Amino acid sequence: MSHSETSPGGDASKLEGLTSKLEEAIRLLAEARDFAKPTKIRRVFDTARRILLKEGGCQVIERLAPQLEQAGVFWGSDWAEPGILVPSLSTHSLKSPDPDTVVIEAISELRLLAIARNSYTHPTVSAEQAHHYLTQVLAINLELLFGTPSEAEREQQGRLANVTRSLFRHLADGIGYEFVIDQLVDEIWRIIQQRPIQVDSVKRMITEIAICRHNPEVELGNSGQGADRLISSLFAPTQGCREDPGVAVYLERLESMDSGALQYEATGFARAMHDTGLVCAYHAVFVRYLLEHGDHLLSEALGLSSTGRDCLLCYDSLVRAIITESVYAETAQSVYGLALMLERGILYQPPVAPALWRQVSLPISPYCRERLWLAYGESPGPRAWLLSGVLCMLGQPLGVGQGNNPTCQSARALSMWAYNDPDYLLQMVVWAARDDEIIIHFEGQPVSSRESVSGVAGELPVDLDPVSLLVVPHLDRIYAEMGRRCIGREGDPHQWVNPEFHGWWSGRGFRINVDVSTGQLWELDAFLRHFYASYHPYYNGNQPLIHPQPAGIAVTDSAARFIGWHAITILRVALDPKGVMRVYFYNPNNDSGQNWGDDVVVSTAGHGERFGEASLPVDQFASRLYIFHYDPLERGELALVPDDELEGVVDRIYRSWGSDRAPSVTALQAEPGQSSP
Amino acid sequence: MTAQKNDQRNPDKGYVAFLGWSLNAVEAADKFDRRYVVVAPDWAEAYCKEHDIPYVPWNFERLNDRSMEIAQTLKDMGVDVAIPLFEETVEWAGAINSVLLDNPRLFGQAMLLRDKALMKRRAQLGGIRVGIFEEAHDKEDVIRFLKRVNQTLLKLDGDPNDPIHLKAFDKAGCLGHRVIRTPDEVDTIPEEEFPVLMESHLDGWEFAVEAWIHNGKIRFLNISEYVTLGYSVFVPATPELEKYRAAITTQIEKLIKTFDIDFGFIHPEYFVTSDGEMYFGEVAYRPPGFKVFELLERAYGFNAYQGMILAFDPKTTEEEITAFFPKEVVDAKGVAGCFGVYPRRRVVSKLEIPEETEDHDYFESHELTAPLEETVTKRTAFGTHWGLVYFFGDDPHTMRDLLKHQEDLDFYV
Repeated sequence: MSHSETSPGGDASKLEGLTSKLEEAIRLLAEARDFAKPTKIRRVFDTARRILLKEGGCQVIERLAPQLEQAGVFWGSDWAEPGILVPSLSTHSLKSPDPDTVVIEAISELRLLAIARNSYTHPTVSAEQAHHYLTQVLAINLELLFGTPSEAEREQQGRLANVTRSLFRHLADGIGYEFVIDQLVDEIWRIIQQRPIQVDSVKRMITEIAICRHNPEVELGNSGQGADRLISSLFAPTQGCREDPGVAVYLERLESMDSGALQYEATGFARAMHDTGLVCAYHAVFVRYLLEHGDHLLSEALGLSSTGRDCLLCYDSLVRAIITESVYAETAQSVYGLALMLERGILYQPPVAPALWRQVSLPISPYCRERLWLAYGESPGPRAWLLSGVLCMLGQPLGVGQGNNPTCQSARALSMWAYNDPDYLLQMVVWAARDDEIIIHFEGQPVSSRESVSGVAGELPVDLDPVSLLVVPHLDRIYAEMGRRCIGREGDPHQWVNPEFHGWWSGRGFRINVDVSTGQLWELDAFLRHFYASYHPYYNGNQPLIHPQPAGIAVTDSAARFIGWHAITILRVALDPKGVMRVYFYNPNNDSGQNWGDDVVVSTAGHGERFGEASLPVDQFASRLYIFHYDPLERGELALVPDDELEGVVDRIYRSWGSDRAPSVTALQAEPGQSSP
Repeated sequence: MTAQKNDQRNPDKGYVAFLGWSLNAVEAADKFDRRYVVVAPDWAEAYCKEHDIPYVPWNFERLNDRSMEIAQTLKDMGVDVAIPLFEETVEWAGAINSVLLDNPRLFGQAMLLRDKALMKRRAQLGGIRVGIFEEAHDKEDVIRFLKRVNQTLLKLDGDPNDPIHLKAFDKAGCLGHRVIRTPDEVDTIPEEEFPVLMESHLDGWEFAVEAWIHNGKIRFLNISEYVTLGYSVFVPATPELEKYRAAITTQIEKLIKTFDIDFGFIHPEYFVTSDGEMYFGEVAYRPPGFKVFELLERAYGFNAYQGMILAFDPKTTEEEITAFFPKEVVDAKGVAGCFGVYPRRRVVSKLEIPEETEDHDYFESHELTAPLEETVTKRTAFGTHWGLVYFFGDDPHTMRDLLKHQEDLDFYV
């Protein structure tokens, strides 16, 4: 899906032509009296947008910023008063689907850059203020600085998504990367603590930092200290590759190492990998090398505990076949997936090892080969990518992310199977990758992914891990079809769909606290009482949750306003190190650390979370819950749940997403939970 | 009257009055050397106050007994002439100007210019070629006319009919314009649209003219080339159309004489057939739609509204108006065109300017907005476009092909 970037050749003259057009448009705008400015602004916006799309366009706009402002581009808008602008609002403007909003925000940032660089003296904003403001804007929008546009952005903004990228590169060049690096480093650590399967954007961010640090023109000062471990993990975790020599040189060095040196390499790689969840390309090269020259070091190189080592020894030939087939420099992350999969001990489940043997030599359909190619490139081939994806998913079941696609149910299902039923997951992968069709039964009737027309997602997703890439489109269609088969039934379709879709262990007991037809809150007390009695160990006879359960939450923003319905998995309910009872759950969203407002901040580390888990104290979690499943035969004692605890939860609901859903208030409509993202 | 900011105003001239609200006209007047006043419905009042725009409130409905009242008000203010900006204010301008200029004939002239059937008849009397036309009061009239036109063309039963055109008597441009081919289609016309004017279809090249007239002489004559009627227009026209300039000028002079037009601005439409014969379509006594004035300013650099002020104002001197207008075609800095966008799909969700349009050297700007509704209403008559896209460049042929090509692109997806 590579969008052709602007070609530098004919661009210079085009840019010149556009610049003189813009200058004329600015002149006309400047000459117009206030009331006539709206009729002149179109040419300014349209020309400025085209300039921003060109290489070097940001410089032009920055140079013309004083004229633009004085001509009245910002006239009548908040941007007219740069002193009152709020950095956090820039994110919204820059991601707006309305081109004019993006353009005016870009012009405003470039104006502030001109002020910060003292090339424009502004009556109300000092160079220091402008500098400070832009630093904040850059730090808040780091992903715009280093990330590539997501498909969702492309869909909404088209080519404009590239404008924001080049704008931010230009701003960072002007402001200095050193001011944003520290914030960036913290952000990277926060993300990798959740151990996502997809680490491309993280790797890209780290690469950018590394480039900055090696660029003599970028003065980093004291900032970016925390980046050391990240950069070394990714590029040079060991003695043998400390100056990032390139694969060929590294292989030569390996040849001349004695067993002590190799051992030293092995532990160095393993430590870096388990520290960060990131695998460096040399690590993959090293693991392949070990197959031939010393596989007794394999366990060290994977950083295995006694459990993992045991598993490795039992399934030695399978592991060797897996490494041969899937571990390459390009697919280095598969090493981490393999290590964690061995640690989980799932190979001891009878069907898993044979299923993996099937996976190792799986014939992949031409259609799936094509999709893998498009997403990941030719080398080292579709089967290697897919197998690497399988390893990562089995090793990091909670690292599955939905990308920028509205397919949270499918991502959740994949994660749940990887976690709870790995053999079933392997079966799904085979059906999708080999047969291009998945059939799941719904109440005895087969539902084929091939015959079901459309899913929740309008387009084929591309920003996913290899397994999701192939399986999600099938699951999405099946899920949607199951929903369609429930049309006409009274109540929420998740009640029937979830257990049939996810697996027998999803409780057949079902509770929802929203009346599907009116969108109003419904039987709140019974809902919460059942939740506590089923899940909270104090009220369910101290029974830890046995199987992961699908649940639905009402997601709210940092101001506690309702955003939408979302699918998650409840994994366990337990005391955290401080003695607070928390719900630990999986969120298919790519970053679980979210602020849901009203002091409900989802934690991803530091409260007893395992990698990939998100957690909240039970009452806070219950205040955003709107659907859950339970086993009616294992219900706890409803009467034991204290009223004041529930009252606190209800208060939280009314302070957030329930504020306009009080049952007495009529005619407030919510969409039924079908279309959760 | 409110003090006008521009201190360049010429104290030797009087006031001119605009009838109707047009931001572009007001802006042009504001930058010009004449004192002016805007006569507009009272919803414009707050805006005019806020921005210091001289303003007289008036609701232009049908002409009534109070017509004299506004004429007198303007006369007392020192207004010399009223300039109509919209089709609906043409008869008001006639009525007011007959008082201001003490010339009762102007009112009759305005009524003539407001009624498409009367207009054609007058043109015919003046020896100007027009197609076959007739008024229709109900659907039967339409069917009869359709049959008669096709009999005249010696069509046999079963031959495909030549279409006929239906237009409202007194609406601007394409509003209410329908094309009828078969008697079945007659049923789709709502009763409330009658009476209408019916015309035979002329196979030919349709174009429009804008002419500024002062003291009975043409001061500037522009030929606007339509690429596709209702979609796109550009100025100046291609050499292929401009080669008719002499013939067209003769036609306009005939028109001026026939309608007894001494001053002001006219906007007639013609067909030229393959043998070079000109057929008169209709004429309007107000600025054209489709932003031709804006295109003229882009192409020539003069402001067409200011040109109107000069052409209408009886106090304009010969030197003044001669100096104002450039020389047609040769003085143009380039070719300016615009394209009216209609959504091509039945269901649209967003505005997306095609990359090839936006990246074209000629592209200047657009005034399209995001769709308000997802379902596109089916066009029965020549409807209203969703906004214009502006282009400017050097070559009229490139412009023509570029505008034509836009018809094949989706702006709303």
